[in-house]
Amino acid sequence: MKRRTQSSGSALSGKLIRRPIQRMFPIFLLPTVAAFCIGFIYPFFKGVYLSFCKFTTTSNAKWIGIGNYIKAFSDASFMHAFKFTALVAVVSLLVINLLAFAVAYALTRGIKGSNTFRTVFFMPNLIGGIVLGYIWSMIYGGILSRYGTSIVLNTAYGYWGLIILMAWQQIGYMMIIYIAGLQSVPGDLIEAAKIDGANGWHVLRHITIPTIMPAITICTFLTLTNSFKLFDQNLVLNGGQPFVFMADGTVIRSTEMLALNIYNTFYLNANSRGIGQAKAVLFFVLVATIALIQFTATRRKEMQQ
Amino acid sequence: MKKLFALILVAMMAFASFACTTATPAAATEAPAAATAAAATDVPVADTPAAVGKVYYLNFKPEADAAWQTLAAQYTALTGVPVTVVTAASGTYSETLTAEMDKGAAAPTLFQCGNKAGLDTWSDFLYDFTGTDVYAQQTTKDFNLTKDTGEVAAIGYCYECFGIIVNTALLAQAGHSLAEITDFASLKAVAEDIHANATKLGFDAFTSSGMDGSSSWRFSGHLANMPLFYEFRDDGVTAQPATITGKYMDNFKNIWDLYINNSATAPSQLASATGDQAEAEFGQGKAVFYQNGSWEFSNLTGKFAMSADNLAMIPIYCGVAGESNAGLCAGTENMWAVNSKAAPEDIAATLAFLNWVVTSDEGTKMMAEQFGPIPFKAAKETSNVFFNDANKYIAEGKYVVTWAFNYTPNVDTWRAGVVAAMTQYSAGGSWDDVVTAFVQGWATQYAAQ
Amino acid sequence: MKRERIRKSILTGFFIVICIIYLMPVFTVLMNSFKTNSSINTDTFAFPTAETFTGTDNYVNGINVGEYPFIKSALYSLLITVSSAALILVCTSMSAWYISRVNSLFARIVYYLCVFSMVVPFQMVMFTLAKTANTLHLDTPYTIPIIYLGFGAGLAVFMFAGFLKGIPLEIEEAAAIDGCGPIRTFFLIVFPMLKPVLISVGVLEIMWIWNDYLLPYLVLDRTKYKTIPIHIQYLQGSYGHVDLGAVMALIVISIAPIVVFYLSAQKYIIKGVVEGAVKG
Repeated sequence: MKRRTQSSGSALSGKLIRRPIQRMFPIFLLPTVAAFCIGFIYPFFKGVYLSFCKFTTTSNAKWIGIGNYIKAFSDASFMHAFKFTALVAVVSLLVINLLAFAVAYALTRGIKGSNTFRTVFFMPNLIGGIVLGYIWSMIYGGILSRYGTSIVLNTAYGYWGLIILMAWQQIGYMMIIYIAGLQSVPGDLIEAAKIDGANGWHVLRHITIPTIMPAITICTFLTLTNSFKLFDQNLVLNGGQPFVFMADGTVIRSTEMLALNIYNTFYLNANSRGIGQAKAVLFFVLVATIALIQFTATRRKEMQQ
Repeated sequence: MKKLFALILVAMMAFASFACTTATPAAATEAPAAATAAAATDVPVADTPAAVGKVYYLNFKPEADAAWQTLAAQYTALTGVPVTVVTAASGTYSETLTAEMDKGAAAPTLFQCGNKAGLDTWSDFLYDFTGTDVYAQQTTKDFNLTKDTGEVAAIGYCYECFGIIVNTALLAQAGHSLAEITDFASLKAVAEDIHANATKLGFDAFTSSGMDGSSSWRFSGHLANMPLFYEFRDDGVTAQPATITGKYMDNFKNIWDLYINNSATAPSQLASATGDQAEAEFGQGKAVFYQNGSWEFSNLTGKFAMSADNLAMIPIYCGVAGESNAGLCAGTENMWAVNSKAAPEDIAATLAFLNWVVTSDEGTKMMAEQFGPIPFKAAKETSNVFFNDANKYIAEGKYVVTWAFNYTPNVDTWRAGVVAAMTQYSAGGSWDDVVTAFVQGWATQYAAQ
Repeated sequence: MKRERIRKSILTGFFIVICIIYLMPVFTVLMNSFKTNSSINTDTFAFPTAETFTGTDNYVNGINVGEYPFIKSALYSLLITVSSAALILVCTSMSAWYISRVNSLFARIVYYLCVFSMVVPFQMVMFTLAKTANTLHLDTPYTIPIIYLGFGAGLAVFMFAGFLKGIPLEIEEAAAIDGCGPIRTFFLIVFPMLKPVLISVGVLEIMWIWNDYLLPYLVLDRTKYKTIPIHIQYLQGSYGHVDLGAVMALIVISIAPIVVFYLSAQKYIIKGVVEGAVKG
């Protein structure tokens, strides 16, 4: 018997379920929407408004039109931060997801101690924010000072330092999601394929991965947005260093990611807060677009199964 | 039904938006109303107590927080005026001030505004000190910030000096004396001699000149003051210049080379050396010279139990003609500013509080302990020997090296470039890059303001 | 078969090594919380020696910094985290149910706004949010959960709605036929079914809120309230000087309750995340 889910409509479910719930709107939807307006909608639109202003505090803003956006676009450091962030996002997406999947795969083969291993891998996820930054700053400092260098002296070290940090923190959570996905792969399908002579690799490519497409969607979305929004650890670990300075005296902060760039712009000088807001709006548009593209692409693959 | 709900929701969202924006004008209209009421009750002094007002100080120095809290409590017990002191987390003063100033009637009434960048950002919020009691109490106006219009925007409440701190006991052990060091050539001779004999003596000449965040400001800010000061002195500069010539960059190189080549830490290791490390090297008697300022006195005599008799501060010599007549570098970035947008009774209360701090026994004692000498008439003596040294030089007629770096445009960005260049130079790079970051960097940052 | 067993043992051994390496950072923090500041810098991975061992000094320093009792910060952190997470879980699950069952235009708009809100950087809204919270007097630990609900609703609604899409309607219809109103249907039937997602979303929210520094710092009334991350930040003195030993000590203290809670509930948590994740 086919189970009726949301997708199959029915007049019965409409009257029985839909209408009564709709009437309960103040209880079910209102609190969330009210808080959402206060905590997100209003600050967001005010933020967009401020991006067209010159201001010191949010209350003494003066409208100046698109001046801030022009300055934001012509800011070389913004472009640089974008390129660096994109690089971090792509590589961390691959590293985290491949490793998380590999570990999830290994820990669903029924080896001894799997449960303990899963626990251990998930633990780093409990640590976040600036605390995470301090921990890794201390560790990298300890390792690199043996070689007479430091993480703030070398862009490549700073880059890989960030990737390792993010991987350490996030692999656990993504691994869990992949484990869930792997456990939902129908065993009989694999048996049938094996009987037909398919080897492990074949099974992986043609059965396992397509089945866990929803997990891949979620994980790629989360790792992508997490990388783009990374701030606390970037601030504490590198602070944008090493700084490369150009012939005209401008300074490129080589490991500065977008969020940090926006933050630094805010406090650059008396006129820069509006520019910071403009950059933040651009940042939002950018990440939203990328996330949307990624989401629809993977969802489409899901649908195809 | 559905449409009704949707409509209600849109109205709610709109209301939320407007409620928040109209809240501020309401607060603003409340304040003048309260002010006129206060002014009215102020006049008959005898029978009605003056409108109380309140003081809210946003402090930037975490180390001084405890002392301020005690002082605030004492003042409140004495006068009944509520004084709140909040300290911003280190490195977040701008952020915190921005968020707090947005609070209308609950914004800080007293805050820090120490250099030109602050002056520009907060110029709409700076109350003019001219004619106030606390302004009259100052012994010198050198440490104040004035706007182009002549208004006194911020008053310096302490001054500090920096130079090269010397461990005279170790110096004597190495066979030298302070009297020998009168200019760069003699400093170099002594330092290089000590460095050459470091293994035998058991200590080295200079402490590590670390370039990490906790230490680099000593060089991108304080040491860089030397070339800036001399250039501005030569050119008669009294306001922020659009460009600088870098006339004294060679002297800057002289002194920097001296620091990094005569220390136990190799120049290539400087990137991660911290301020704590340098302080520990000096405190534990492993180095003779330590560039830093008067604020180090309490740490050195406290944490490291050094004897004040063995401590002295000498000027930073860099090979400029006539520098044997130089005194220490004195100045400040610690200046009080009063919020001009606060309610009038709050402004009055704040000014009264400040006046009390610089004239009362408790206030002057706390200021002397936390901040050293203050440029006010009732200032207490301090046990900080570095200030005695500073005064000694002044008494001998030597010129004060003022803080020319207060003029730096986009100071944090400029310093970041200079630090990067100096770190790379120390690791084997070219000095030309440092000159570029210094000179061209200034012009670029000025233009980017 | 034997080859299979050998392969599995090798894998087990391999993972034991990996896990030890994986936990090294946490262990290093624990070790360093008992060492002096300069030795943390110079000899990060060494065990505390007689010379560098500082006993409980770092812990005492960390707890006493800023003249604000650490226990107060800890309690506020706990209060804010638990109440915000609870508020988020209850309100957003209800809203997600509404959105997925009442598929109206308005509901869909709210849903897409939620999805979009997941990518907004905090910098864009932080000052406005602080001002709003201040104006509406939401700047106490008792009212900040509303702000967290507003800012954190996006992810939660998204995950709940996804999960709910896969739940069949028959049970709810049966309940309705039996005379259950929506409230009873939701709390007695749907809510228990959401347990896996409640756990996975709950874990995410709790981790975020417990470790969050910037939002409470800007929103909470600075004169009265601090949370643990804010308390740790105050260990930074002026001029970039950081008391590393005390920072390590406070990190240990702030991670400890989470780790203990996690270890005791981990089977439950992992199971919940596993069941809830994929359908979301």
